[in-house]
Amino acid sequence: MIRVEDLRYRYRSEAPPALDGVSIDIKRSSIHGLLGPNGAGKTTLISLLAGLFTPQEGRITLDGASLGDWRAKRPSAIALVPQDYAFYPMLTVAENLSFFAGVQGVPQRERQRQCAEALAFAHLDAVANQRAEELSGGLRRRLNLAIGLTGKPEILLLDEPTVGVDPSSRRFLLEAVRQLAEAGNTVLYTSHYMEEVEAVCSEVSIIDHGKVLLAGPIEEVKRDRALEQVFMELTGYSLRD
Amino acid sequence: MRDRHGLAALFIMPAIFILVMSLALANSFSGQQEARLAYAVLDLDDTPVSRALDTLLGNTDLLDKSASPSSEADARLRVRAEEAAFVLVIPQGFARRIGTNQTPELRFLVDPAVPAIMRNGFRQYVDVAVTRVWLTHVLERLGQSMMLPELRRITEHIGSPEITIESVGSHDDAAVAVPSSVQQNVPAWLIFSMFFVVIPISAVFIGERQRGTLQRLRSQRVPFGLVLAGKFMPFVLVNQIQALVMVAIGRWLVPLCGGEALTLPGSAPAIAALMTLSLAVSIAAVGWALFIASLARSSEQATILGGVGNILMGAIGGIMVPRFVMPAAMQPWTRISPMDWALEGFHQVMLRQGGIADVLPAVCALVCFGLVALAAAVFFNHRAAST
Repeated sequence: MIRVEDLRYRYRSEAPPALDGVSIDIKRSSIHGLLGPNGAGKTTLISLLAGLFTPQEGRITLDGASLGDWRAKRPSAIALVPQDYAFYPMLTVAENLSFFAGVQGVPQRERQRQCAEALAFAHLDAVANQRAEELSGGLRRRLNLAIGLTGKPEILLLDEPTVGVDPSSRRFLLEAVRQLAEAGNTVLYTSHYMEEVEAVCSEVSIIDHGKVLLAGPIEEVKRDRALEQVFMELTGYSLRD
Repeated sequence: MRDRHGLAALFIMPAIFILVMSLALANSFSGQQEARLAYAVLDLDDTPVSRALDTLLGNTDLLDKSASPSSEADARLRVRAEEAAFVLVIPQGFARRIGTNQTPELRFLVDPAVPAIMRNGFRQYVDVAVTRVWLTHVLERLGQSMMLPELRRITEHIGSPEITIESVGSHDDAAVAVPSSVQQNVPAWLIFSMFFVVIPISAVFIGERQRGTLQRLRSQRVPFGLVLAGKFMPFVLVNQIQALVMVAIGRWLVPLCGGEALTLPGSAPAIAALMTLSLAVSIAAVGWALFIASLARSSEQATILGGVGNILMGAIGGIMVPRFVMPAAMQPWTRISPMDWALEGFHQVMLRQGGIADVLPAVCALVCFGLVALAAAVFFNHRAAST
């Protein structure tokens, strides 16, 4: 269980809080959707879970241990897949995978194995020797996700993983996310696409102004309504605002 | 290595700069002034004394003498048409005034486009010639009146002294290279181009930040020191290759294009000093580049900050304008520029045949600058990461 308890974070002391007492439970081997309008605090929460920031108040525990202690034992266990194409466009697909595995300290032989697995998982074998900058939007998204799999993470933080891709690539990515959860990975999934969240997530948290407005299994949250309707009633926004 | 534009900026641009500047300034440094200024003499006095002055002025290879104008109006026309930069007008009565010990009067007609330094040089040249003519005239007259033939002989030996110029190296036994334009330009533009590593480094670094690659690396718990080392080491290597290529251009390409070849020191200590210095310049340049990349929020900002910073360092540091040409009040300010430290070090080796000990102050200053810039880069990145 990943437990976020009463988490508070401000970027500057005089600024309004980006997170204001956020508490969420994320079950292991599940896909947890994180919804919120722009500026709601989603990226701040993901950054705190990824260890980019340190909580100012509250705490994050994993299986009962503090995030810091847990990560000290498993440095590669949490992988952030940013919304942008966070790789080196001038390197080839294979070189990117090898580089990101290498900087995590994966030994040479294991690195080759992990890169081959990531290539196969994301169906990137055919473009392994192509430069990343030459790939289409869909293939870039797949590479972005595949890089997140190097180092064999247990928890994946996916920030808008399907932005700007065609429907077939989106289907592929959603299926890939499902497979990851089935394989035992825990996925925190943020998206502006309501139908994606409904399709892949078992649980959802809706946040706005740094507070959790509603959280729970997706069917309980919806209560026979469309998720978008729930979202609009809670936040006053359309999800794509 | 796949950033072709970055590599072009680092290799092709400085190569062209070195080639063009070495060839363009070749004559200025060699003293073989092919584009010499022309002068003419309008002798309205037409006496043996005025003709002697005319002849004496012709004894130089620094100026071209053009045909005498027929009148002052013709002289003015010739200056306006840029056929002559100067016309010396010797007025009527010039010889008489010398004979009666009155101050002789002369006039110059000058093209206003001629720099003041050349105008003053020509004026001094004429001044010396008039003094010699006057002295000869006085001694001749004295010799005649006192019936002393030796005084007449003295006048025959009044001439220019033979002056030899010796360049002084770092040590008494150092064989000093003659400072040619390529000898001056290669180190100067090499240093300048090495600092332009700021453009590719900031493009890579800011790109990483904007794409979220740095975030990803941080989330993978990759130490920031390793991220910086991943930039520092390869770019120092690129910088060193750049130095080798620029030196090779000075040594082999410039002579092929008609310029002088770069003379490299032959002794092992001098070569070691050059290599140490080149490495120190790289440390300073890459440290500076990482500092700018950390400070700037966009590639455009980095290009402006880095580019303008480099141009300022080059302008203050004697890269674009040699220090000795600057006004006295400005000369001490050159010492604040790392490019000046580097240039001074290169001159110690390439012009004065110095060794490691001679470049040590420059090396220490450059390495300290690079490390301080690197520390500032770490600070700014840490601050940016927490907001």
